[in-house]
Amino acid sequence: MTEKLLDVENLTMKFGGLLAIDNLSFSAAKDQITSIIGPNGAGKTTVFNCLTGFYKATAGSMFLNKENERLNLKKFSDFKVAQKAGVARTFQNIRLFPQMSVLENLMVAQHNKLMDASGFTILGLFNAPSFVNKEKEAVEISKYWLDIIGLTHRADDDAGDLPYGDQRKLEIVRAMCINPHLLCLDEPAAGLNAKESAELNKLLLFIKKEKKTGILLIEHDMSVVMEISDHVVVLNYGKKIFQGSAKETKNSPAVIEAYLGTEE
Amino acid sequence: MRKNFLYSSIKDSLFTGLIALALFGPIVGLRTVAKNEVLVVSPKWFIVLVIVIVCALGRFLTNLYIYNRDQKFGIQSTIGKSITNFLDTKGTQIALSAIIFSVIFPFLPFTDRYLMDIAIMMLTYIMLGWGLNIVIGLAGLLDLGYVAFYAVGAYSYALFAIHFGWSFWICLPIAGIFAAMFGVLLGFPVLRLRGDYLAIVTLAFGEMIRILLLNWYQLTKGPDGLTGIPRPSFFGLPFKSFPDEGEQTFHTFFGLEYSPMQRIIFLYYLILVLALITNLFTIKIRRLPIGRAWEALREDEIACKSLGVNPRNTKLTAFAIGAMFGGFAGSFFATRQAFISPESFTFIESAIIVAIVVLGGMGSQTGVVLATVFLIGLIEVFRDFESYRMIAFGGAMVLIMIFRPRGILATRKPTITLQKKEATK
Repeated sequence: MTEKLLDVENLTMKFGGLLAIDNLSFSAAKDQITSIIGPNGAGKTTVFNCLTGFYKATAGSMFLNKENERLNLKKFSDFKVAQKAGVARTFQNIRLFPQMSVLENLMVAQHNKLMDASGFTILGLFNAPSFVNKEKEAVEISKYWLDIIGLTHRADDDAGDLPYGDQRKLEIVRAMCINPHLLCLDEPAAGLNAKESAELNKLLLFIKKEKKTGILLIEHDMSVVMEISDHVVVLNYGKKIFQGSAKETKNSPAVIEAYLGTEE
Repeated sequence: MRKNFLYSSIKDSLFTGLIALALFGPIVGLRTVAKNEVLVVSPKWFIVLVIVIVCALGRFLTNLYIYNRDQKFGIQSTIGKSITNFLDTKGTQIALSAIIFSVIFPFLPFTDRYLMDIAIMMLTYIMLGWGLNIVIGLAGLLDLGYVAFYAVGAYSYALFAIHFGWSFWICLPIAGIFAAMFGVLLGFPVLRLRGDYLAIVTLAFGEMIRILLLNWYQLTKGPDGLTGIPRPSFFGLPFKSFPDEGEQTFHTFFGLEYSPMQRIIFLYYLILVLALITNLFTIKIRRLPIGRAWEALREDEIACKSLGVNPRNTKLTAFAIGAMFGGFAGSFFATRQAFISPESFTFIESAIIVAIVVLGGMGSQTGVVLATVFLIGLIEVFRDFESYRMIAFGGAMVLIMIFRPRGILATRKPTITLQKKEATK
């Protein structure tokens, strides 16, 4: 077992009388891909929203283990989860900045460090060398990621004009541009064809191996889940019903029952 | 197909006529006049009929020739397209020649006092439009109360100048800071609001400031307004025809004949410089992280949060900086008029500035200029026909919305590019 990156302990989320997540505990390891699967309405996206600060969890705790500190994610409210804790996410329905160029999308992701370098805009107004260098650096980082997903030639086009599959990939590398410890992907393969989802697998494996970023993945496409996950957590009605390796999951009676129902 | 289309456009235009009848029937048709000290209705059905027919016919024609993309029946509006192309590709050249023209404008042979006054007014609106462009065009926050900051700037300039006797160049930044503070003050309660709701609250804010100015008599003299606001001086040299004993004035210092035009020309260059500063600042700040964050916030606030962009600070800076330029323009207005009252800061001013920004093409700096020249120029042309001014204004807006629904100049240039695209073109 490798080092643990994320510990979710007894997480509970209630919306009025509806129990969306019921006492959920699981952990995700560093440089591993952990998939969260489950039927529709199982509470997968709610888990993400709790982790990334969009919802405030009713009870329970979530800890992120950085090099030498243990951060309680519950203490960070919305944008601070990304800014201070380094948890990045993508969305089920792609949320790019459609009327901004591809490069600008990646530059916005590096906003916080550029903002510091621009000395609250004042140094930036006068083209201070420290800011200009930092900005060049940020462009280089963006270019590095664009080369990886093969979109360098479209860097100056509007993000909204890209084909669907490229938009998905762009959203993932945009999240990577904040230099996260944990990357949460909400159905990255939805709507992709076979070739595109093979490329996606390659990208995710690259991120895991080269960037040592832990990946948390919600996915319905089992070909993606089975091929790249190191660890699978299965949810149903807000409860964890199984966790284990991809192979174990495939053969688990509880999982089969949740997806297909019981035999008469 | 063709027949069907004709049928549906006829139906559509009849329906438009019906709506026009419902609107104009009571408003125009049932006119009340005082006769022997009683109000009687004097119907004007003929005018209503004309209006209804014009509306229905206009709708029919726009249906046929503009909304119809069918090659056979509709004409491709080649003129519209070439104008679009021209504006899109020659944007920089147009901007440069406009700047050169405005610099030499006061010394052109046909320039007289009247034209100078209009030019000064246009430049004030252009500056306000550029300031509001930060809030609406970049940050995407629909602010219908922008005139409030204009008023705050004007009043704070006037009060400081009257009571402390400080010069224009000291009061100007103070007025800007005051307006920026009010921008933050407005920004805080509306942080969570978007779109229509934000528009309603900002509208109310604009009215609140106006009513406050109207009623705080001890400070603002209420409806009487503030008089005797000091005129600006040329770096310490006042514009006066009869200088006091031993006093240097502009014309004695430069050995010129006194002429009232000297002050007008000075005011003209003052607002030109202020407006250009606003423009340069906006162009520059768009390319900085904060400007990019504004645009990102306009596009998708949730995505911004997921990337760790602080939406609160980003919105507040947009409100504050936009308001600051409104405040600068306000203090210029105060020093030019030498008299201000709440009358000058009504909602219609906000509406005109918003119209300038939206019709110009959100976020486009050149678009603001074109829209101002078009709208304010139109209002001026119709100055002699007072009662038709608003019709012309409304008609101009309808025309722009039909032919350029996204504003006169709607193309957006990226703030940073990887390849030098211009070079390959």
